[in-house]
This record gives sequence, C-alpha cells and structure tokens, in this order.
Amino acid sequence: MNNMSPEVTLHRISPELRPLLSSVVRNGRVGLDSTNCLRVTDLKTGCTSLTPGPCCDRFKLHIPYAGETLKWDIIFNAQYPELPPDFIFGEDAEFLPEPSELPHLVQWDSGDPECLLQLVKELLQQYHHYQCQRLRESSRLLFEYDSLLEDPNYGRNMEIYAGRKNSWTGEFSARFLLKLPGDFSNIPVYLLKDTAVDPGEDVALLSVSFEDAEATQVFPKLYLSPSIEHALGGSSALHIPAFPSGGCLIDYVPQVCQLLNNKVQYVIQGYHKRREYIAAFLSHFGMGVVEYDAEGFTKLTLLLMWKDFCFLVHVDLPLYFPRDQPTLTFQSVYHFTSSGQLYSQVQKSYPYSPRWDGNEMAKRAKAYFKSFIPQFQEGAFANGKL
Amino acid sequence: MAEPTVRLSGIVFSSLAFQHVNRDSDVEGLILGESKFEEQVTISDSQADHIHIEEIYNIQKHISCLKLNDFYNSVGDVNVAAVNKILADNKQENVIGWYKQRRNSDQQMTFREKVVHEKLKASLSNPHMIFVLLTPSRLTPTGSTHKMEYAAFISRSRHFVNVPVLVNNLGVLEQLAYWKASAPCSSAGYHRTMNTHSSKFFSSNGLLREVNDVNSMNDSLQLELQKASRKLVESERLVETLQTDISVLRRKLSEKKKSEAGKGGPVDQRDQVLHEAFRSLLCCRLFHTHTLTLEAFPVPGFSEQDGAPETASPLRPGKRPKETLVGTDRKRRRSQPSE
Repeated sequence: MNNMSPEVTLHRISPELRPLLSSVVRNGRVGLDSTNCLRVTDLKTGCTSLTPGPCCDRFKLHIPYAGETLKWDIIFNAQYPELPPDFIFGEDAEFLPEPSELPHLVQWDSGDPECLLQLVKELLQQYHHYQCQRLRESSRLLFEYDSLLEDPNYGRNMEIYAGRKNSWTGEFSARFLLKLPGDFSNIPVYLLKDTAVDPGEDVALLSVSFEDAEATQVFPKLYLSPSIEHALGGSSALHIPAFPSGGCLIDYVPQVCQLLNNKVQYVIQGYHKRREYIAAFLSHFGMGVVEYDAEGFTKLTLLLMWKDFCFLVHVDLPLYFPRDQPTLTFQSVYHFTSSGQLYSQVQKSYPYSPRWDGNEMAKRAKAYFKSFIPQFQEGAFANGKL
Repeated sequence: MAEPTVRLSGIVFSSLAFQHVNRDSDVEGLILGESKFEEQVTISDSQADHIHIEEIYNIQKHISCLKLNDFYNSVGDVNVAAVNKILADNKQENVIGWYKQRRNSDQQMTFREKVVHEKLKASLSNPHMIFVLLTPSRLTPTGSTHKMEYAAFISRSRHFVNVPVLVNNLGVLEQLAYWKASAPCSSAGYHRTMNTHSSKFFSSNGLLREVNDVNSMNDSLQLELQKASRKLVESERLVETLQTDISVLRRKLSEKKKSEAGKGGPVDQRDQVLHEAFRSLLCCRLFHTHTLTLEAFPVPGFSEQDGAPETASPLRPGKRPKETLVGTDRKRRRSQPSE
C-alpha cells in the first residue's frame, strides 16, 4: 500500500497544500485509537504529467475507527489551492453527511493549517452517527447501543462499525469499540527506546465483535497502549473473561473494566512495594549496595563479606511482587565455573512472606544471608576454581 | 421501471476528452441535450405483452466552466445566476445535466458532486438530470499509456445509479426495432434542409401526407356506416311498432271472443239458426253449380260440389277466392302469383 513516511508525503504534496497535510500527518490523532497518527498513501496529482512537481493534490487517508481502517479519498486541486477538498468515502457509498453540519467546510479557510484535520474530525462524527443509524437493522444490537449510551462512563467514548456482512454467513454484524475509563496516571514511567516517539495517551480499548444480529457469536478483545501493556507484563498478562451467553454489554463491560483497574492497581502497588523494599535494603546494607534499578526498582546488587569471604548478592524483584518472591543469586567474587563464569547459586525458596513490610524483609534477608553463606562458601570452594 | 441510457456522439465525446487534456486541472461544466421517454413493447414466448420504458438522454453539447466551483459553493449550494451566465445564449431547459473530469481518481461520485447534483436538480426544476464523470489516469508507471474511463450517473431516491453510456459513431448499430422518431441533431444546416424539403413529405401537423389521405378515407367509410346504421335502426323500430299493434289487436279479439262465449243470449241463437239456414241452402244441390249440356240439362254425376269453390273468410285475410266461370267447361286457369 506504498506506506510513506510523513516527510516523503510532505515532500511530494503541492507546496500550497503542505501546511494542511502537515498537521494531519504529524498531529493527526482522531477517534478512540489515537496511538498512531493518520496515515497518507496513494499520492496522485490532478495536473498533467508535464506539470513540474511537486504537485500532488489528492491522496488516500487511512483513519482508524472502531477497529477498522477507513480509507477516504481526499481531493484537492493544485491549481486552485484555496478551494475546499472533496471526499470519496471508500466502500461507504451510502454515507452522505449534511454539509451544513460541517462548520469547517462551511467556513473553509485554506490558510488555517488545522482546517483539514478539524474537517476530518467533523466528518468522523457524522460517520459515527451514520453507523449508529445502521444498528436499527438489528433490535438486539440497538438495545446494546442504547444501554451503553445511557451510561456516561461509556456512552461518550464509543465507536461503532455496523452493517458489515459476515463474509462467511452473510449475516449482519457489528463491532463496538469502547474506551475503558481508568486512572493510569500512577503507572510507572515507561521507558522508550526511541524517546522521540510519543507513545501517546495511556488508553485501554475494549473491542466486542458481534458476528450475528442475535448476539450468539460474540468475540471480545482488549487493546492496551504500550505503557499499560508493558506495566501489566505484556499482551498476555491480562486475560479477560469470555462474553457470557445471553449476556449484554452493559453488564460485561464494567466487569472487564473492574478487572483491568484491579490489575493496574496491583501493579502500581507492586511498584511502590518494590521501591519500599529497595529503600529498606539501602538502609540496612548501606555501603554494601553496589547498584540498583532506580526507575523500576526491579534489581539490586549487594557486595557483602562474611569472615573475609566476599560475595555478591543479586536480588531480582518480579513484576507481581510482593505476591511473587524475589530471586536471590549468590555469586562468588573469587571462583569461576568451568565455563568461565563467576560461580553462583540461585535461591528462590527462603523464608519470605508477602505480608512483611520492606524493613522486615530486609532484616529477614540479612538473617538468611548469614545462615546460607557458609554453605555457599563450601560450594564455591568445592565446585569453583580460583 | 425506466431503463436509462445516455447517448452521445463521438464528436461530443472527443471534444470533452480533448478539452480536459488541454487543461492543467480538473474540469467541470454543463451538458445540453434532450431527454425522452419511450415505451417499448416486446413480445416473447414467456410473456405476450411486456412493456418497458426507456429513458434516453441525448447529449448534444457541453459548456465548460472557466474555473472550478463556478456555480456552487463549498457546501454544494447552486447559484442559478451563475448557471445562467455559463449558459449565455443557451436555454436553461436544454440543460440535462453536468459533467466533471477528474484526473487520477476513482470512478465514483464524490461527496460534493452528489450534493451539487441534487441541488442542481432542485434549482433547475428538472428531476431527470445526469452526471457524467470522466477519469483519465496513467496506465503504466512510465506514463506511456493513459486510459480514459467514463460513466454517467442518475439519482433515484438519493441513490446514485450507474447508467450505460453509448457513444454513437456511425449510427446506433444495435437498433433493431422500427424507428419511431428521427435521430436528434442540433445542427443548423440539418434544420435548414429539413425545413426546405419536409413540406413535400409531411403535412402541417407533422404527419406523412399518405397518412392523412388514409385517414380521410377512413372518415368517409365511417360516415357511410353511420348512415346505414341509422336506416337499420328506423326499420327495426317500425317493425317493432307493427308487432305491437298486432299484439294489441289479437288481444282485443280474444277478449271479445271470450266475452261473447260467456254471454250466450237470443242474439247468438238467431245467428246459429241463420248459420244453419245458410249451410243448408248452400249445401243444397240445386244451388250448386252444374255442368249443363247444350240443351240445358245437367250432366249427371258431375257437379261442382266435389270441388266446391273456396269462399273468402274474414279469418283468412289475404286469400282471394278462386275465380270460376259458371256454366262453362273451361279449364280452370292457373291463378297468377300475387305480388
């Protein structure tokens, strides 16, 4: 589909139209799924081939909506850049919005770089109304929509794609995309490899596909923004329940929402617990701390000595700490294994309780070190080589 | 249901294409021509009488706008004054639609084109208008070959339907039925020629002259038929009247007979006696006609009693008594047939 980077797109577009398109490709986030900007492909021109470039003035705009991607043709005229654009709404030939309800079309201002983006948003609103109207084909799905609409938590953040015929059965089908309400502000900062890329707003989207008008085949799916997905431990960390037979969205969606929020709170608490744990170890072991993870608080390394025997202790805190026990890796600073690595032993079972606070965990860990080190030393001498 | 078709001559089509090739942007304009509805009756094995209506749009001329969005604004509202200005000397009623030429785009109507089309129909008060779309595009990446796609659209209940476009070059080759109307032509020279020579073939009302003669003959036949019908009606009425009179008379007679049979008095008896007397008298051989000899003696064994002449009776009107010659032995002449 000849994907183009924004820079290439802007380079090929007619100079008079460049500001309009710039805001679309750089800042264009519409709808619920705003993790990615709008995408432009199939740049073409309405001028003759003899016209020197750049003179592209028509293109396809890919717009994410309700789990689908709308492909709308936008047509300008390079010779008349002041004129408003025209649209072809892809496969939705029946979609005909009321022009007077598009303020940025009525008062088109080619000098305003945001005008095109705002017009696209207004068209998308009208498209949403058009899709909701199509739900009238199924009383069951219309009921689902009306019941969700009444709830302010979900009614204002909903996208519907309706009237799509199931390619196998030919039945009327629809998809609901809902933005789940939740406070994700306390989730630990997500470290991005490329800091120039804005990960976007933290959002959780629930997609529910009805493959038939009577809601006997319903397939839910949860989409998380990268930071939330990372914070929860990956895409497979959270399993949402299946849609109950005979159930309805107004009961199911809050259930999923609660599950997600519980998980997020658990992760946030785990982050604080880890921080508390590390702080306690810093307090107890002071100068013995070699290094620790100061952002995620997931790792800690200590250099300790017992009867002139120095050793390292690596503490790895799992994601679901304190429910899951930290792993302790004892490492000799003198002895090597046959493969050239420092001799080490991993301990996952030692006295531990998730109900202890950080201070208690540090004290108990210290006591365990004292009891385990003689055994480790013997092992190092026996199995390692200097 | 009407089956629409758009027809344009090769000259007009090539003019449209040529115009766009020479413009460095999209082009739009108005289409002039005529639209007509023809009823076609087809007979097939499955259906004896199938009537369908053909909707034909003949494109005869196009007028291009000097710039885009010339007669409408950003929301598609049509400016009729601007349309009239574009038309100049052409009549508004000749407008049958508008066209757009869009390079490198899909063969579909856009959002604004649909809105403008509906508003143009309303503004010009013409519910039957077409929109012709031409979309030239590059066929090869090098640009060595280009294609020109074209289509026409009409709107039915705000749904836009693709209509076949036929480009006439040397005539409409698919025409198989009889021509019911002459091919449309807007050429001034064609009209001058027709005006000069048409009076030889057509009368003032536009029909062929022979058709008028046949019609006159038909009218005369109708008059004769009407006369004969009137005479028939009169004679039938006369017969009816006479039959009514006869019925009345018969009824009176039967009533009279009934009333006389019921009374039975001295008048009747006297009539009976008189009747008997006359019978006896008439039956007497002396009063019969005799065949006599020359000496005035009856010829024995030969009398007219056996062949007694029939007497006229009032009950048998119309029958006249046979004429006989008394005292002669002439043979009876055959009576003459009555008229």
